[in-house]
Amino acid sequence: MPLKAGIDTGAMNTAIVLLDGDEILTTLVVGSNEFLSSPRAFLEKMLESAKREWRALESVTATGRGRNGIDLARKKSSEVVCQARGALWLFPAARTVLNLGAESSRVVSIDEAGRVKSFATNDKCAAGSGLFFDSIAQLMDVSLEDMGNLALKAERTEEVSSRCAVFAESEVISHIHRGVSKESILSGLHHAVVDRIMDLLSKAAVEPDVVVTGGVARNPAVTGELSEKLGLALCLPAEPRIVGAIGAALLE
Amino acid sequence: MKEELKALRQERHNSAVKWKEQTGGKIVGVFCCNVPEELIYAAGMLPVRILGEHEEATEGNLHFPTNVCPYPVSCLDQALKGRYDYLDGLVVPNVCDMIRSMYGTWKLNLKIPYVHFLEVPQRISREGSKFFHESLIKFKDSLEAFSGREITAESLARAIHVYNRNRTLLRQAAELRKEGFISGTELQGMVMASMLMPKINMNELLNRYLQEAGKRQPNRDGVRIFVSASMLDDTDFFELIEDCGGSVVADDMPMGSRYFSFPVEDANDPFAALAERYLMRIACPRKMLPEDRKRFIEDILDGVKVDGAIIHNLKACDCHLYEYPFLKKTLEAKGLPVLFFRGEETETEMETQRDDIEAFVEMLRG
Repeated sequence: MPLKAGIDTGAMNTAIVLLDGDEILTTLVVGSNEFLSSPRAFLEKMLESAKREWRALESVTATGRGRNGIDLARKKSSEVVCQARGALWLFPAARTVLNLGAESSRVVSIDEAGRVKSFATNDKCAAGSGLFFDSIAQLMDVSLEDMGNLALKAERTEEVSSRCAVFAESEVISHIHRGVSKESILSGLHHAVVDRIMDLLSKAAVEPDVVVTGGVARNPAVTGELSEKLGLALCLPAEPRIVGAIGAALLE
Repeated sequence: MKEELKALRQERHNSAVKWKEQTGGKIVGVFCCNVPEELIYAAGMLPVRILGEHEEATEGNLHFPTNVCPYPVSCLDQALKGRYDYLDGLVVPNVCDMIRSMYGTWKLNLKIPYVHFLEVPQRISREGSKFFHESLIKFKDSLEAFSGREITAESLARAIHVYNRNRTLLRQAAELRKEGFISGTELQGMVMASMLMPKINMNELLNRYLQEAGKRQPNRDGVRIFVSASMLDDTDFFELIEDCGGSVVADDMPMGSRYFSFPVEDANDPFAALAERYLMRIACPRKMLPEDRKRFIEDILDGVKVDGAIIHNLKACDCHLYEYPFLKKTLEAKGLPVLFFRGEETETEMETQRDDIEAFVEMLRG
């Protein structure tokens, strides 16, 4: 079967997928700065662990914000198209893809063949992005992975405004000084982020099935509340960060 | 040739200073599409359009809150930084709140000898046209007093002729753009140069340009895009679209087709003819009702094959943003997917725009 590589270089992480025909051979998620220092070495290491030769690679396709910096990719494609293709490959009934990345969020409407019908991107503000979670995690001294679960444990929710990442940070600091529990603050933060995502979704005709991709999709507090607000069960990939890379690998 | 047009915009201040040295003439800056430049030309002066620049408006920002249209702020910023020191005059039409504010801010903070406020009616109507006619007569009197030169029937007829020639050439360029002989970036460059250069020289340049362009191999590979924009005072947004695989084949914007769409028609009563063209025919949402704008845009789209539409509105441009939902619906009813940007005057957002435009072009290619 033809061996294909897809690379999705985002603002925070890079995902690499090796596809052997219809099967995922191996995947890797690594910090984008680290990856961009030697893209070829990472791909070679993956091929080696899968016991494949470089020359067996039929195609290398790159997507994501940093795609133009990856010279070894013979083809480049936009995130919108790759997210759509990857999501449909994982969930054949997908009609809406919500990609929640570190820097940008997008909602993409697709048809049954995975073709993009329309898409909308978040506005310029950082509130609601993955990097916002990252800066709050550092500020509150919790790990990015634990944030969602901690928020779900909250007994009450402390209000945090959803309009600006910088103001939200200063609100969080005042809440900490007032002795509010981490769980309550985090619960408020997640509400605020979901409000922003709902704003974005209002720009699209959301049709089921809805697939959520990108690093923020690993956060159960976000996906749980989204599902509740939309009144829909969401399709969550086991590793939501690699969907764009799968889509890139699948492109002809 | 694209580079030649680009240089005309970039070098505009030097060219203006040189023109003054060579001719001893006066230069009058104008804002917006509603100022009949013919009158300034007929008084023997050079009208130039005021443009902003892609740099932080460090001086301009001191005079405004942050949530206003960045284009006039950038224009004021350029003037405060001394880039427009060669201006002898300025004409500010009463169009939107921010352009109106240019009258006071320039008058108070800069030493321009002549600043004229041109009244423009709020709506397109017969009564409005009459009012605008009178407003143009006052403008003529004021220009005569400032220039010391009478605007005669002959000089005005000559000016109208030269300006109509420019519009005809730009309309021919727009036809060549539909066929792929001229890119969207080039046509916008021509419009902008027409707003800056002495018209007779510009017409010669355009003539030469069009003859050469007609012999080219047309580019028909790009995804065909229609752009509606509030204010793009540089060609870089069009360059970005065309760099991403699009071809801008039609537009609806002040520094685009609104500048050359209709001629000044009835030469027997030049002031009525100027009022007719500059008030009644320019499809700006500030004064044209949505139903008429809809017809205007449908007419554009009936004359050209388009695959998708991009709307670019500067942030806080109320006139255009108010119209956006209606415009989007109009375009979608024509079967066109729409991509929307709320823009700034700075270049920092180009990379995020590139992401969306590349995706849009890929989506339209299917």
